[in-house]
Amino acid sequence: MIEVDQLVKRFGAVTAVDGLTFSVRPGHVTGFLGPNGAGKTTTMRVILGLDAPTSGTARINRTNYQELIRPLHQVGALLDATALHPGRTAEAHLASIARSNGIGRRRVTEMLRLTGLETVADRRLKGFSLGMKQRLGIAAALLGDPPILMFDEPVNGLDTEGIAWIRQFFKALAADGRTVLVSSHLMSEMAQTADRLIVIGRGRLIADTTTAELIESSTRKDVLVRSPRAAELAGLMTARGASVTREDDGALAVTGPDAAAIGDLAAEHGIAVHALIPRTASLEDAYLDLTGESVDFRAANLSPEGAR
Amino acid sequence: MTATDAGPDPASPVGPVTPPAAPAPVPLPVRARDVLASEWIKLLSVRSTYWTLLVAVVTPIGLSALVAVTLANAPGRGAHSVDPLLPGVVSLEYALLAVGVMGVLTFSTEYSTGLIRTTFEAVPRRRAVLAAKAAVIGALTLVVGEVVAFASFGLVQAVLSGKHLGVSLSQRGVPGAVLADGLLLFVVATMGVGLGAIVRHTAGGIAALVGVIIVPAILALLPPPWGARVGRFTLLDAARQVTALHPATNLFAPAWSLVVLLAWPAVALLAAAVAITRRDA
Repeated sequence: MIEVDQLVKRFGAVTAVDGLTFSVRPGHVTGFLGPNGAGKTTTMRVILGLDAPTSGTARINRTNYQELIRPLHQVGALLDATALHPGRTAEAHLASIARSNGIGRRRVTEMLRLTGLETVADRRLKGFSLGMKQRLGIAAALLGDPPILMFDEPVNGLDTEGIAWIRQFFKALAADGRTVLVSSHLMSEMAQTADRLIVIGRGRLIADTTTAELIESSTRKDVLVRSPRAAELAGLMTARGASVTREDDGALAVTGPDAAAIGDLAAEHGIAVHALIPRTASLEDAYLDLTGESVDFRAANLSPEGAR
Repeated sequence: MTATDAGPDPASPVGPVTPPAAPAPVPLPVRARDVLASEWIKLLSVRSTYWTLLVAVVTPIGLSALVAVTLANAPGRGAHSVDPLLPGVVSLEYALLAVGVMGVLTFSTEYSTGLIRTTFEAVPRRRAVLAAKAAVIGALTLVVGEVVAFASFGLVQAVLSGKHLGVSLSQRGVPGAVLADGLLLFVVATMGVGLGAIVRHTAGGIAALVGVIIVPAILALLPPPWGARVGRFTLLDAARQVTALHPATNLFAPAWSLVVLLAWPAVALLAAAVAITRRDA
């Protein structure tokens, strides 16, 4: 169980985390979602005792990280897969981490095998691809067989197969009863991996929900209608309880009746319809709607598809 | 889909897993021995350690022999005015720089790569990490330093004794001076560890190391009596005092000079102990 309570972290004049409160429960993959610069990494660093909070607390099983006994047995984390000494071998890297928490060589070998790195165990890390480094970081996080796991943008740099592997991997960890927190800036990625979501923007909590609920509540569904007698048709539909808004180009966005019902209604009254398009917004659009206000740096005049 | 790309079977992610329902066994605290062993693995698993030790062993032994030969063949009575232990000390300079840099690197490479965060995740008591790094570097450089000091001494005296200029280990003051010679690597290396933790960048750390050694030594060049008054606190003059057979009379006595010598790394490590816990990793 990870509990973040009223957490504030300032770096000089910049407030990276601004009164954040949430908790992460065991048995789920919890997605930690937000645009770049939202404060995800900073929050994770504070949870891990690497950065001191300006105010508020971040606790692991009701304990501050610094007070954890042999922390690798309780929390495994992968923040930055490239944070490695390039001259060290994969095995020596893992062995040095393991040894600090009294974990033996056998476990190191097991983790190398588990992550598919046993054949490169003796190779120096400077030759490793980003994908291999991600796997090595996962191996390191799992050394102490911890009940709590945290991964910061673990999908970056993985190929399609690696992504599929890591998704199943997280789910299996959660199915074991572990607490799994995975950060990402990609809603589409999290929708396929996480069953719970914590969405933040500019250091504040935007949503703490399940993936299913978020999809349900924020997915827009309407029908676009074009007609030479749009005003007349709008009146008819409104009278039958539909909600109608007029778009910039004169088209109608209708929520309530489906396309068939609208078409029938128009036919009944002899109104020509030039377009009748059912629209569903993607989850990505829902996420952009949620975080749109909170994006720190946004390129001007980008279409929604282009904005990350 | 090839075997290497596919990755392992995701169905059984962590092999033997303790059932989460079962009460977790009470874990032991991170023990000093474990942290030391971890740092030992780190130190011996990078090539730079071996290059550093090669420089720290070969250059002082080679140079001291060279200085001794030059001294032995100096015309007139010039050689008699020189401390017979001097060749062993002056030839340590490259070795000192090398082990000092090794000390700086133990922290600066971890900070510059970000590995320090992994280290502090595993051992949140950061001062334990500092102590362990200083201890493994200190132990290694102390052993290497003493081996080099006695090897250079043997070589230098073998050369000088041909001209009846040599001294023997049984002579009063000699064993202590040679031991102190070997101690210099330890002093500079552990000071490097402290500076690396404070500065956190390799280039800056090395600059700080050189600065801490050289800049006070420049102050020692002030006109008398200020040169000696300041100089006796400098690392280099303190080092000369403890390693000389005939210490200078206007500086601290060797015992006090030893205290000054050890104070340099002690202060660096204490400052590092404060800095390392106050700053975000």
